[in-house]
Amino acid sequence: MDGFLRYYDHFVLPFTVGMLVLFTVIIYKYVRWFVRMPKEDRRLVARGIFTKKTAQATGEVACEALGHRKIWRVNPTLGYMHMSLALGWFLLIVVGWIEATVHFSGELTAPHTHVFFKFFGPTSHPTMTGKFINFMMDFLLLFVLSGVALAWFKRLRSKALGMRRTTRHTLWDRVAMTALWMIFPVRLVAESAASGIDGSQSFLTGAIGRWMVDEFGIAQVFNISAVAWWVYSLVLGAFFLAMPFSRYMHIFTEIPLIFMRRYGVRSGERASSFDHFQIEACSQCGVCIDPCQLQADAGINHVQSAYYLRDRRYNRLRREVAENCLMCGRCEAKCPVGIESNTLRLNSRSRLNDQPAEGRYEYLRGVDGSCGEGRTGYFAGCMTMLTPATLSAMEKVFAAAGEDVWWADRNGGACCGRPLRLLGEIAAAQRMTDHNVELILRQGVTILVVSCPICLRAFRGEPRLADIEILHHSQYILRLVEQGRILMSSDTMSYVYHDPCELGRGCGIYDEPREVLRRLGTLAEVSQNREHAFCCGGSLANAEIDSTQQDAIARTLMAQFAATDARVIVTACPLCKKMLARHSSRARVADISEVAAARAVAAATP
Amino acid sequence: MSVNFGYTISLPRAVDLDRNDFSVALRVLRRLPELESCIGCGGCTATCTAGAFTEFNFRRVQTLVRRGEYGGAYREMNKCMLCGKCRLVCPRGINTRAVVMTIKRELGTGY
Repeated sequence: MDGFLRYYDHFVLPFTVGMLVLFTVIIYKYVRWFVRMPKEDRRLVARGIFTKKTAQATGEVACEALGHRKIWRVNPTLGYMHMSLALGWFLLIVVGWIEATVHFSGELTAPHTHVFFKFFGPTSHPTMTGKFINFMMDFLLLFVLSGVALAWFKRLRSKALGMRRTTRHTLWDRVAMTALWMIFPVRLVAESAASGIDGSQSFLTGAIGRWMVDEFGIAQVFNISAVAWWVYSLVLGAFFLAMPFSRYMHIFTEIPLIFMRRYGVRSGERASSFDHFQIEACSQCGVCIDPCQLQADAGINHVQSAYYLRDRRYNRLRREVAENCLMCGRCEAKCPVGIESNTLRLNSRSRLNDQPAEGRYEYLRGVDGSCGEGRTGYFAGCMTMLTPATLSAMEKVFAAAGEDVWWADRNGGACCGRPLRLLGEIAAAQRMTDHNVELILRQGVTILVVSCPICLRAFRGEPRLADIEILHHSQYILRLVEQGRILMSSDTMSYVYHDPCELGRGCGIYDEPREVLRRLGTLAEVSQNREHAFCCGGSLANAEIDSTQQDAIARTLMAQFAATDARVIVTACPLCKKMLARHSSRARVADISEVAAARAVAAATP
Repeated sequence: MSVNFGYTISLPRAVDLDRNDFSVALRVLRRLPELESCIGCGGCTATCTAGAFTEFNFRRVQTLVRRGEYGGAYREMNKCMLCGKCRLVCPRGINTRAVVMTIKRELGTGY
């Protein structure tokens, strides 16, 4: 204990208090969240710990939490800013710890001795290794300072760093952020003053120290040093104190999140304690704000994922913020932390709107609008009933392929349940799903072709249908062509394809519709395609925006297509088709089944 | 014991706008002002998925709610599957799914 506190000065107190509070709060939070997690989730973690998943997660932590690889991909300047702060600070701690440990030859000393080493120990070492360490410490400090400078600049002018908008912050965030911005400049002053007094030769702190001594005289530098070390400890303490209550909680929380995600833990449609790890792993970097079409086209500025997560975290989530979202998933696709914001939003909605559904939808008992016989089933879905061209096109395709089809909802059927689910009525949605699953299982089909991506997603997520191959009609048509069961003629017609949210980001189906179109004519692409495709605005996940706002969103999407010379805008979702058709002036809007069926002929029987 | 002669008589029925309580109706309209623009075309009801299987009439229920007639409205709206076809066919662009959700929220199980 003697050695533990051999190096002590009163100025270390703010740092020490801050650090103790920080670790106490973090450990308390993590233990509490973990213990309250569902048993199955905890079992997943226990089962995964001694597998290679742990090694993979460690690698991911290094890449993401330190290197910020995913932000680099979205925006290199922002990536550098985050990496310089995270990796730079981490290395400063590691190298500083090595420097101090070597100097104290392994003697057990209090953490502050390492953190304020240039105060307690010498500022420079005469040996070659010592010189290298001196250089590294200065270099790393400069590296971090470059990031801090970028952060200052970004606050002043977010556009300069390629972000149209940046997040608005809470009081805790502001305290932590101000402290964070001051830590490294103050550290530079403190270490420079100490180096000046010592006469260190290092390139940054040594040079500034010498300049200080020349300019102010050694007596003044002693004063500067005394004040600067106090301020340094104070801002460190303030940062640590504010951190667990601010967005900077993400620094540590991303680590358990990455591990648990690797072990297979996910958020669900009902809230669970695991959600805390996702919510507090959000750094509110604001990468989710720019892609949000509600922000860009409808002028809604308070519902984006960063704000939603912030409001939910501080228990001030309003219904409107949880419900005003297209759930298109554009922001999720860009999130550098990989937070499942759509799933989280769903479970907020279920908390608001879910209610027991006993006695509801009794009228569905015995409802069966199916007809036909066959091992291939076809589920059109409610929306497809409003786009009869898709229905007749599919009829033609089935006829050309000579397929015997069981039409699941030819004479009317129940909704798939996903629209109810998207608004949080889970129990009610389950009744719809149960009804349809029973209907489908009774028929014993091996393939189920679905025309509506919303239904497709509902059925694909249903474990009871796991033995049935569930295909979107674009996949099915491509398969028929590839198997030679139908022939399609091509010409010079030009197409452009719109990725429906539920089909693309929702089910990962991007290539099959494009492949069908390539076989029909030429295919143009817009810049915002595939996982970055715009939503048409008609999303059933949003019951908040009015039709003018929907129209504004659809117009932006249409402007993209108008910029290409394509004559036909093709989509693969009846809802998207309706929205697009409303706003198209020149080009024809069609479902992929229509354009394919128009050119499909039965293959000649051998 | 009454004898059933095969005739039924409907009770006299009128919407009394002077007596009705409009508080819920006004809250619904404040949230969804476009509902005032409903022309009662019945497109919503004609296309309704639930309406194909049961007596459920969106136009009727929302019109009655706007007149301050809340009886049975919650139970009726609970028949809706929220599939959203009515919103697509509405010539006035009314956010029909929000109408269903708002009426259910306002009236709850008490009605």
